[in-house]
Amino acid sequence: MSETETQIPSYKPRIVALVCNWCTYTAADLAGTSRLSYPAEIRMVRLMCTGMIDQKYILKAFLDGADGVFIGGCHPGDCHYLDGNLKAERRIGGTRNLIEQFGFYPERLKLQWIGASEGPEFQHHMTEFVERIVAMGPSQVRDRMIL
Amino acid sequence: MTMYTVNQTGETASSTVTRLLKDLLGRNIADAVLVSAENPWSRLPMPTVFTDSANMDRVVPLAPSTSVSFARQASLLVRGPAGKTVVLVLKPCEIRAFIELAKLNQCSLESAILVSMDCPGRLENGDYVALAAEVQNLGEAFPSDLSFQEKLTVTCASCDAFIPDSADLQICVTGMDGKLGVKAGTAKGEDIAARLNLATCEEPQNRAEALSALAGKRKERKTALFSETASTLKSIEGFQAAISRCINCYNCRSACPVCYCRECVFLTDVFVHPPELLLERAARRGSVKMPTDTTMFHMTRMSHIAHACVGCGQCTSVCPSEIPVADLFRTVAEKTQSYFDYMPGRNVLEPIPQLVARKGQSQE
Repeated sequence: MSETETQIPSYKPRIVALVCNWCTYTAADLAGTSRLSYPAEIRMVRLMCTGMIDQKYILKAFLDGADGVFIGGCHPGDCHYLDGNLKAERRIGGTRNLIEQFGFYPERLKLQWIGASEGPEFQHHMTEFVERIVAMGPSQVRDRMIL
Repeated sequence: MTMYTVNQTGETASSTVTRLLKDLLGRNIADAVLVSAENPWSRLPMPTVFTDSANMDRVVPLAPSTSVSFARQASLLVRGPAGKTVVLVLKPCEIRAFIELAKLNQCSLESAILVSMDCPGRLENGDYVALAAEVQNLGEAFPSDLSFQEKLTVTCASCDAFIPDSADLQICVTGMDGKLGVKAGTAKGEDIAARLNLATCEEPQNRAEALSALAGKRKERKTALFSETASTLKSIEGFQAAISRCINCYNCRSACPVCYCRECVFLTDVFVHPPELLLERAARRGSVKMPTDTTMFHMTRMSHIAHACVGCGQCTSVCPSEIPVADLFRTVAEKTQSYFDYMPGRNVLEPIPQLVARKGQSQE
């Protein structure tokens, strides 16, 4: 791993969350109505299923300077489209394997199953991920020229 | 696997193979043949379709050339529901690519008879034309002459997958003591061999030795090439340096036999950014190289097709900036393929790994 980064004081990470409409997004809603707050650094994108996440969404987020990418999908067996989440798991595993070869820390890409009723879990995982990224510091490509 | 032999009465290997192909047409086993052939204007063999054996006098089935991706062209011939039976004479990597395209429903194996050979490797098109002007019958001279081996593309010189394991009929030339062998790799192949009344023969002792000697040499070069490439790719700076000469012509994408999207996202407006965004990006990142999204292009292509890369090297051959694209892709692909425990083109029944719904790796 050749990521060389310097910790910027009072650094606010940019984190993209790609979340499934049927579970994690609903959990975010529940967290909201339950008055559970989560870090404002998360920029959430709602998708119909994690199975529609193309590898290029993740790559684009990273190359455009995201410090972390969080993907929230349904628990295995709960997918609204039968097995989109399991296909996402394979694809994201492959993407993690790929970016690792180019010196990205694979820990910047996280896949988490969060069910629709799991508002508190949503808050917990979001907070934990933001803490992890803050501890890691800014991504190596954040403000650098990218061809 | 049974080995058959084709009677070779003072002919060259190349003309024996041609006779075999003509036989497939003559006995109505197939309706057409796609094979590399010269044309009246050029010695560079192009994929050419024949329906009548009488026209096949410029056929060069064993020529060390793959002028374009034959798999892509072959897929245009056999699509949709089974129709006319077409013999496709492809190099082993092209066979693998063709099977990958079949998995994506972009061609059909039903009406195809896949014929391949112990791969002689290929020369760059320019090198081939230059050499063909000097040497008569290049396909014959090539495998036996070691100085020719030096002229192979970097990809072929470091390729150890030169045996067409998944073809219906496999032409055996290496270590055959001057005979021409045919192996049937599938039930379809066995059936065709029976209909051609081919005589069976013992596999010569020399063959296994000759093949493993070549495979050993190639593997050595491959390992050295991959470890060298991996060390340049291991940081984002290294990646940028490797592709820094790229001019976004997308030739590698067009030449790739397994880059399967009917409409490529890089040909749409997705990466046509509004001027404000480019200026904002320049301000934030110091500068913006144009055309933009070169890194994005190569990384996206890698993420999409690394599992299916058959290592044909066409991407390197077509690159006007002389970037060793295939070295990068093959290095990355080896890791991806081992991650998924997948080998492209091994078996049409082996599903594409990203489409397998199986709880495997952890969420992390």
